[in-house]
Amino acid sequence: MEQPVGVEPSAVWPPRRMMPPILRGAFWAFIGFVLGDLATIAVDPFQGHPLVTEISALFGWAMAVIGWVLGVGAWEGVVLPLAGFSEPWAEPTDMRRYFQFSVDHKVIGIQYLVSSTATFFIAGGLAMAIRYELMQPYLHFFRYPDQYLTAVGIHGTLMMFSVATVALLGGLGNYFVPLMIGAKGTVFPRLSGIGHWLVPAGVATIILSPLLGYWTTGWRGYEPLASQDPGGIVFYYLGVFALTLSSLFVSLNLTVTIIFNRARGLTWARLPLFAWGMIAVSILNLIWLPEIQMTFVMGLLDRLVPMNLFNGVGNPLSYLSMFWLFGHPEVYIIVLPAFALWNEIIPVMAQKSLFARSGAIIGILFVMILSGLVWAHHMFTNMRYSEMFPFSFFTEMISIPTGFAFMAAIGTLWRARFRVSTPGLLILMSMFNFLIGGITGVFLADPPINLQVHDTFFVVAHFHYTIIGGMVFSWVAAMYYWLPKLSGRLYSEFWGKALAIVIFIGFNGAFSQMFLLGLHGMNRWVPAYPAYLQPMNYEVSLFAFLLGLGFLGHLIHISWAWRSGPRSPENPWHGRTLEWLTASPPPPHNFDGEVLVRRGFYLYDSDQPAGVVLPESTPDPAR
Amino acid sequence: MTEIVIFGLVWIALSLAADLGLSQIKSHTMYFIISRQGHLAEDAFNFLAAFLIPVAIFVALFLVYTLIRFRASNGDAVRSRQQTVQNKLFVTVWVALSFALNILFWLHPTAADLETMFRRDFLANNRHDLVVDVTARQWEWIFSLPQYHITQAVNRQGLDALTLPVGRRVEFVLRSYDPFHSYDVQAAVIHSFWVPAFGIKEDVVPGETRYEFVTPTRTASYATNPMVRVQCAEVCGPGHAWMEAPLSVVSGPAFDAWVKREQKRQQG
Repeated sequence: MEQPVGVEPSAVWPPRRMMPPILRGAFWAFIGFVLGDLATIAVDPFQGHPLVTEISALFGWAMAVIGWVLGVGAWEGVVLPLAGFSEPWAEPTDMRRYFQFSVDHKVIGIQYLVSSTATFFIAGGLAMAIRYELMQPYLHFFRYPDQYLTAVGIHGTLMMFSVATVALLGGLGNYFVPLMIGAKGTVFPRLSGIGHWLVPAGVATIILSPLLGYWTTGWRGYEPLASQDPGGIVFYYLGVFALTLSSLFVSLNLTVTIIFNRARGLTWARLPLFAWGMIAVSILNLIWLPEIQMTFVMGLLDRLVPMNLFNGVGNPLSYLSMFWLFGHPEVYIIVLPAFALWNEIIPVMAQKSLFARSGAIIGILFVMILSGLVWAHHMFTNMRYSEMFPFSFFTEMISIPTGFAFMAAIGTLWRARFRVSTPGLLILMSMFNFLIGGITGVFLADPPINLQVHDTFFVVAHFHYTIIGGMVFSWVAAMYYWLPKLSGRLYSEFWGKALAIVIFIGFNGAFSQMFLLGLHGMNRWVPAYPAYLQPMNYEVSLFAFLLGLGFLGHLIHISWAWRSGPRSPENPWHGRTLEWLTASPPPPHNFDGEVLVRRGFYLYDSDQPAGVVLPESTPDPAR
Repeated sequence: MTEIVIFGLVWIALSLAADLGLSQIKSHTMYFIISRQGHLAEDAFNFLAAFLIPVAIFVALFLVYTLIRFRASNGDAVRSRQQTVQNKLFVTVWVALSFALNILFWLHPTAADLETMFRRDFLANNRHDLVVDVTARQWEWIFSLPQYHITQAVNRQGLDALTLPVGRRVEFVLRSYDPFHSYDVQAAVIHSFWVPAFGIKEDVVPGETRYEFVTPTRTASYATNPMVRVQCAEVCGPGHAWMEAPLSVVSGPAFDAWVKREQKRQQG
């Protein structure tokens, strides 16, 4: 954002007395809900005249989200400038800027990181409650079975749409992509700025959904069960809509930024791996998020009108196909950034040139393409054998480009001198976990095996291995790797590694046994199960609690290091990507000059740096 | 070269040991399987595992090997002496092997098994089956055997329960609707008909009638192994967890006796 020249920020902030933006956002959201709700009730009174119906809640919610986004600062930051007013508005430079609408990609990135971390622990707490319930084969912790199913649904929905999809893209992507491509900012900063504030709105919508009644469908919202559920399912649709809109905004911004804002000399052939991961994910988001949003709009209309699209009168299987048409690309939306991070961090830790760099990128791009061709393997229990055939084929084939990420990593590690730092160790752990997730995926691709283990804990274990094992471990690794850049401070190697080992043991102890539970006949979405499965479930829960504690430990450790860890050197890992060419944390416009890229970032055959920062408007000496 | 030899030998040794271990437990990899279709799944599982275990060990061993042999002795950043960015042989072998393995898996077990299943389920091959009409409602499995005029098979406590003869082909006719819910025909959701010990699973979808064929291969019952049960596998509302029914696979004469008991129970 343009700073007013020659005016101290403190002189223009606050422009006038106003409420703290978050409070104002909440207040405007409340007003919006009341206005939208009452207007709907006035136009369309319902029998018995209740003040909130499902339909009025829908319009109230829409107004509330608009009120919230405007209230946290989009009013001054977006609407007034668009209308031609020059509001004396400048972002505060202190802590307050994290608690309001911002156009600084670094502030937005940290806002996203904080929001998705907070959501991770809320949804993780639900996972702990689920595991506590499953320690006994009967209902003993949750009061009602639909309460349990709602907890499962909220856990899955939050983890998918506001953690797994958001943390690496909205958080690290917003923060690091412009830095890594030598840009001074993003192309559509206001879009990302609004995008972040949709996350708390969506998360709150989903957490508060039980107010309208428990919903039992899990994160997939399967029809026609959803149309039977109480009103909470309406807030599920709406919350997911807000969260997917947020990722859509960020994807648009990052795609355009990577295409148009690269530094001089940063050709596509030199684009950092992480930026490749981000653009692949963004393209997947741009294609598939509108698809799932339309599906949920149809689900909502099916319920509110009603339209009989997806029940026995219509066709329930259309919903399943439409859901998984998005649902399978979604898992690659989650894990592609992890593949990119492996090969981003490994060469730095090894100080060794990245092996088969083009192979690693081709892998990411082909996974991106094939991910749209495999969705129906989630529906083998609904298909003719002839229909399973092609989907089985593509599902097995997607392991080939996935293997390229491993191939590049293994080639780089071969005969390296790999520094087993905390991020290095976590990356190796992430590769191991994803290996297990990928290998078990080959079993699931085979129809006869799938028909046995589909909808069992085998599948639960499989996808947690890919998502926690692949994405969350890489996320934690990236937090340690970039902590010196984010905060200018270092963490404790002892605590970092000790906690990495704790989550590795907790994770593998819990989820490896779930494969066995699934093979032994444990089905999903059950708060009660046959008693013979209890001993192993008990063990799984103990390991799950260890995993939860480990993540909590990482949170405490990283927060401590962020605020009061020892000062870090400028480039502690001797990384060569462009974010290490600037101060830590970076100044408002990222670089004090113009960035020029001279060679690839992953070449360690000489000491020559890959990029330099030239004083502004110096002619390119190479030309 | 030494590294390759050491790594290769350890890898081969571990893979052989693991595959040997697999061959020892291969009739238990899916715990308890008592149907032809289930054995198909179990064989496919073991076949894939025999190939995938060496693949998994290759990568996992490599990661451990990295921690032992390729770690920097201290935390200092020292440029690696070797800076290979391309190795045509390694990449070619990697890509060729991953294609070969995947095409193999697609042909066998996938294509071969689908062909077998298709042939077994072909209608002309399924005359004189034992027909079991299965109705899934929220939340109950209702079994009726029209050939024996049994409208709802129940056990002594009056709970839904099913008994099947061993070695005889069974045709399940699967429907999801609520026969007790006369005023709302739309009150039906997706269920999933699953017998863990049979290795079969089929979603039961409102508005569709589906067929599932299975041949039990040995006698067993819910009492001898709890995997012998009919279980709903697709979440279908609050009662989903309890939507299960005990199953027994018995000899021919025992089945006839069970049929007589059920018929008598129906007459009151």
